[in-house]
Amino acid sequence: MGTTTKAALRGTAVTARVGVALGVAVTVCFVTGLISHFIQHPQPWFFWPTRPVWLYQLTQGLHVIAGIAAIPLLVVKLWSVYPKLFERPIIGGLTRQLERASILVLVGAMIFQLSTGIMNIAQWYAFKFFFTTSHYAMAYVAAGAVLVHIGVKLPVIRRALGEPLEEQPTGELRVGPSRRAVLAGTWLAVGAATVVTAGQTIPWLRHLSVLAPRSGHGPQGVPVNRSAFAAGVLASARSPEYRLTVANGSAVKAFTVDELAAMPQATHRLPIACVEGWSATADWTGVVLADLLKAAGAEPNSDVRMISLEPPGPYSRTVLPARHTRDSQTLIALKVNGQTLDLDHGYPCRLIAPTRPGVLQTKWLSRIEVVT
Amino acid sequence: MTSTRIFLVALGLVLGAYGVTLVAENSTDVIIRIVVWALIGVLLHDAVFAPVCVALGFAGRRLLPHRWWTPVLVAALLTVVLVLLAIPVYDKPGLHLDNLTVLDRDYADGFWIALAVVWGSALLYLVGDRVLPVGENQVVEQQRTDDVEPQPPSVGPDGQQSAGGGEPHLER
Repeated sequence: MGTTTKAALRGTAVTARVGVALGVAVTVCFVTGLISHFIQHPQPWFFWPTRPVWLYQLTQGLHVIAGIAAIPLLVVKLWSVYPKLFERPIIGGLTRQLERASILVLVGAMIFQLSTGIMNIAQWYAFKFFFTTSHYAMAYVAAGAVLVHIGVKLPVIRRALGEPLEEQPTGELRVGPSRRAVLAGTWLAVGAATVVTAGQTIPWLRHLSVLAPRSGHGPQGVPVNRSAFAAGVLASARSPEYRLTVANGSAVKAFTVDELAAMPQATHRLPIACVEGWSATADWTGVVLADLLKAAGAEPNSDVRMISLEPPGPYSRTVLPARHTRDSQTLIALKVNGQTLDLDHGYPCRLIAPTRPGVLQTKWLSRIEVVT
Repeated sequence: MTSTRIFLVALGLVLGAYGVTLVAENSTDVIIRIVVWALIGVLLHDAVFAPVCVALGFAGRRLLPHRWWTPVLVAALLTVVLVLLAIPVYDKPGLHLDNLTVLDRDYADGFWIALAVVWGSALLYLVGDRVLPVGENQVVEQQRTDDVEPQPPSVGPDGQQSAGGGEPHLER
């Protein structure tokens, strides 16, 4: 019998395989993140359809799920290459320094993205910089560093993926875990990370998602992201003086809540899907936006600006693209799940449109302007 | 392959440079905070988390029987992941009293239950590994390319069996 030895668990065979999975997760995050960014900052070339109605729920759900899945992948990948940190020469020549610097940027940007992302979905702003802009900027740094890294390591990656996972020492008996076990454990950790969090957007996982920032509960069965209190609309939303004004150039028409309720009502089952990765589907009832615009003498062919009772801030006014404006499922909702909107859901009325991020489903509407 | 590599590196540099210009649009204070956050993240990993893992792995290999290593390693990885995911929710640091639909679970209970499931499963794996008969797969897995089916004993000129032969190596 040969001598016993513990197998080397680390190795490019493990690094490359976990790296491929991490690359897939980062790609999903980057692409879905860009989609979310361009919906919120529309560009002329960017096309965002209104069907299927759950499209944003899917892309943003994937963004957060892939980001969380990347956490165990990054942990294992960094573990698998950790000894390289101490490889000699520590400093070395210019090429060596450049390589080390690129790895520093890569690891720093990845840790930055994953840590700020996971904190943002729990609304924990311990960092003193604005989340969205820095997460967006660092996404390019991270994606760029990943591409450089893949470019530099491509021959190593290809060789490692072509070779068997386990080293095959002859005449020696392996004891302890195998690399197969490390990989199996990694996939298990990815699965566990997903299960304990993804219930905030996948309802049947809800009971297992013990670490999800949202249980999915809330007033009228729908969670809230910005409360009426935080928006400062407690008084204005309940005021008897409340009117929803629809403006088309100089033509202006005001509607009371009763007048809105007296108009033909439509009910559609639409998801509210937050940039923070949670979502909830509900039955929304209200006036079809296109009908409301027609009632105010405007044709629903252009973009419209949605203005909230909320004092001016980043999301108190949003622009709804023409494609969504004329969509038959875009509602100025007065009810959710059969009940008058809770104050926290945007009473007296709110926008709810298919495939839109929750943050752009403007609540406590006070004015709708046709953008000409 | 060379052209693919050049393309990837070039595209990466362009994307990265664009990211840097976006970061640079912030005030100097904010840029410093962003860079410091990233560097602290690297430092926490390289100088705290990884050395602790190395030390625990070193201790584990000396203190635990070989058979325990695989389930303990996997359970430890899952524990690390659960801890990382629990940090932003366990104590509800982001809680705002005006909106109780965020952080609306008992995360302490959930975390400890999840941990119990992980280590309970590791224990079950250990027990199952001991109770269940050795599977054929395991035998095959432990074989090497030089493992061959037992050959008829070759009889040398002096009538002695030669050394070698391919009994699967198993330490059980």
